[in-house]
Amino acid sequence: MNFDKLISGFFIIFAMTLNFGFFYGDITTLEHHSKYELFAAIVINIIATTLKIGDKTQIGSVLLATSLVADIQLIAAATIWTVAFYTNALDTHATSVVISLSGGALMANITSVILYIGETLKSKR
Amino acid sequence: MNNNSLWLLLQKMRRPFIVIVVTYTIAIIGLISVGGVSANGEPYHMTIFDAFYFITYTATTIGFGETPFEFTYPQRIWVSMSIYVTVIGWFYGIGSLISILQDKLLIQEIAKTRFEGQVKKINEPFFIILGYNNVTKKIIGKVLSKGFRVVVIEKNRDRINELILENYSPHVPVLEADIYDPNALELAGIKSKYCKGLVSLFEDDNLNLKIALTAKILNKSTTLAIKSTTDNHSENLKDIGVEIIENPFEIISQQIHMLLNAPTLYQLEKWIYRIGDLHSSSFTLPRGLYVICGYGRMGRGLHKILNQNNIEAEFIEIDNKLGEPLNVEGIKKVLAKNADDKDVLIDANIEEAVAIIAGTNDDTTNLSILATAKKISPHIVTIARENEMENLSLFEYANIHYIFMPSRLLIHKTINALIHPLSDRFIHLISAKNEMWARDLANELREIGANPSLFEMVINEKQAYAITQRMKKGEKMYLDTLIRSRSNPKEKNSIKVLLLQREGKPYLLPQSVIDLKEGDQILFACSEDAVDDIEYIAQNIYELDYILKEQS
Repeated sequence: MNFDKLISGFFIIFAMTLNFGFFYGDITTLEHHSKYELFAAIVINIIATTLKIGDKTQIGSVLLATSLVADIQLIAAATIWTVAFYTNALDTHATSVVISLSGGALMANITSVILYIGETLKSKR
Repeated sequence: MNNNSLWLLLQKMRRPFIVIVVTYTIAIIGLISVGGVSANGEPYHMTIFDAFYFITYTATTIGFGETPFEFTYPQRIWVSMSIYVTVIGWFYGIGSLISILQDKLLIQEIAKTRFEGQVKKINEPFFIILGYNNVTKKIIGKVLSKGFRVVVIEKNRDRINELILENYSPHVPVLEADIYDPNALELAGIKSKYCKGLVSLFEDDNLNLKIALTAKILNKSTTLAIKSTTDNHSENLKDIGVEIIENPFEIISQQIHMLLNAPTLYQLEKWIYRIGDLHSSSFTLPRGLYVICGYGRMGRGLHKILNQNNIEAEFIEIDNKLGEPLNVEGIKKVLAKNADDKDVLIDANIEEAVAIIAGTNDDTTNLSILATAKKISPHIVTIARENEMENLSLFEYANIHYIFMPSRLLIHKTINALIHPLSDRFIHLISAKNEMWARDLANELREIGANPSLFEMVINEKQAYAITQRMKKGEKMYLDTLIRSRSNPKEKNSIKVLLLQREGKPYLLPQSVIDLKEGDQILFACSEDAVDDIEYIAQNIYELDYILKEQS
């Protein structure tokens, strides 16, 4: 068992599940989505990104790219939410933007997990 | 994806990044969960953004105060704990980043990448010079002034700084690396089509051999100029296929040989190396007993040459080990004593000797030996070996007849062989000639001037456009045309053709009736003005027309 692999695998999959947990629910109803879950998703996503940094291989670069995409989308979602909340503009439209952004991040995270599993299966040991 | 330095940096940044993220997260979660009181006295919980904002300015020790409302005591307890965690995490992260940026490996990687870029950008002929010292410094200056570029590999940081301070123009890229590292040689562009040659003149023969081997494996067609101080190594280098093998001690022996038999040849050689002119009267070394101090690599070379010339010699060597093999062979006694001693010199028959050669590897000893010798026998011919290259040479003021400087010889030899390959070939060819031949040539050259210029030309589109155009039409061109005077084509210009090389075959002092072929390399000795004349005739179709019409 490779401890490094365990850690990075844990964070990559955790990032995806948290992302999914936040995304799941009605897209226009903010009550279905927890802001704490979004916060956790961002933190875990950043950690997962950090763990992918510095991998010189081709697959490593693509993994890093997907993680960066997820980061950007999640942070964008959080920013929009914050701005909308403090300017009292948190209507259905803003809510759907926040949730759909996290949905995009979820796609990136799923891609990342697929690549990660693919790479694991490819290696013989 | 060959930018190793960036990857290295990123990989090392993982831990500090994670530390910052984790400490921030813990502090933020705490702030969100600990209850506070708003300005109206109502209980409230910080939003995620409030908490993030507060931690951001607290962790970086900026500290804007308590926002959005004054903190309650439970909040303050949490903040005081999280300050320690986040501030330490932040400093650790920043500290690691700075230490990574100052990391030697990283700096080296960055320098390497920059060097690689600089070498790749060179799109004119360049030479790779290994090691930066007094000798290569002179070579670099000369090579640059001839319009070539130079790339240097050096291991010692101080020497690199010295090179940078020299401010060469055009810029000389320098790589800090192990000299014999194949990767370093590759980075320095040994495989580039513009790489004209590689120079390795280290003291260590084995190192030179190693470099020669590596370089030849990496690129078979580069010209190598390699120093060797023993016959054994020269032989090895020859087997590898090294083009220019430089043995300073062999050159010295050969020059002594020349001075004994054909002093004019020696004069010609000095003229070709541009360290003497043809005017100074040639000076022969006398025949008789020689006293030679030092029986190392130079002493052995001299021994061989003097034996060849049937000249008796006494050897003095302070190091017992070096003298031993000679005593065993029983050819001649080697005095295992300090040569810098009056009695020892008298023991070695200094009073009967015609010449003394101070050839130890210590300059002070050499100077002192010669001073002592002159005192004992005032008319003795003194010959010294000067080891260190200083700006101000004591030897020049010591009234010594001949000074041999291995390092300076190396410089001249290298420059000549790399930049003027024809002159080098010429020197090689004439070294087998005798005094009579040399004197005739020297007299002919003196008619041109005391110090004629040397000019090399290749018959091709670039250097002889007019000539090649005519040859393409099927006309025969003769060497004679090139050496006509432009002011009066019926007359010959003050030019002596020294060498014509065709497909590797040399024609020494060719007749002017010889016809030219494309690719011919020609070495002229001529006056400064005549260089222009040759170039005009070779390049300008109208000049050529005029010469051809008028010359007969």
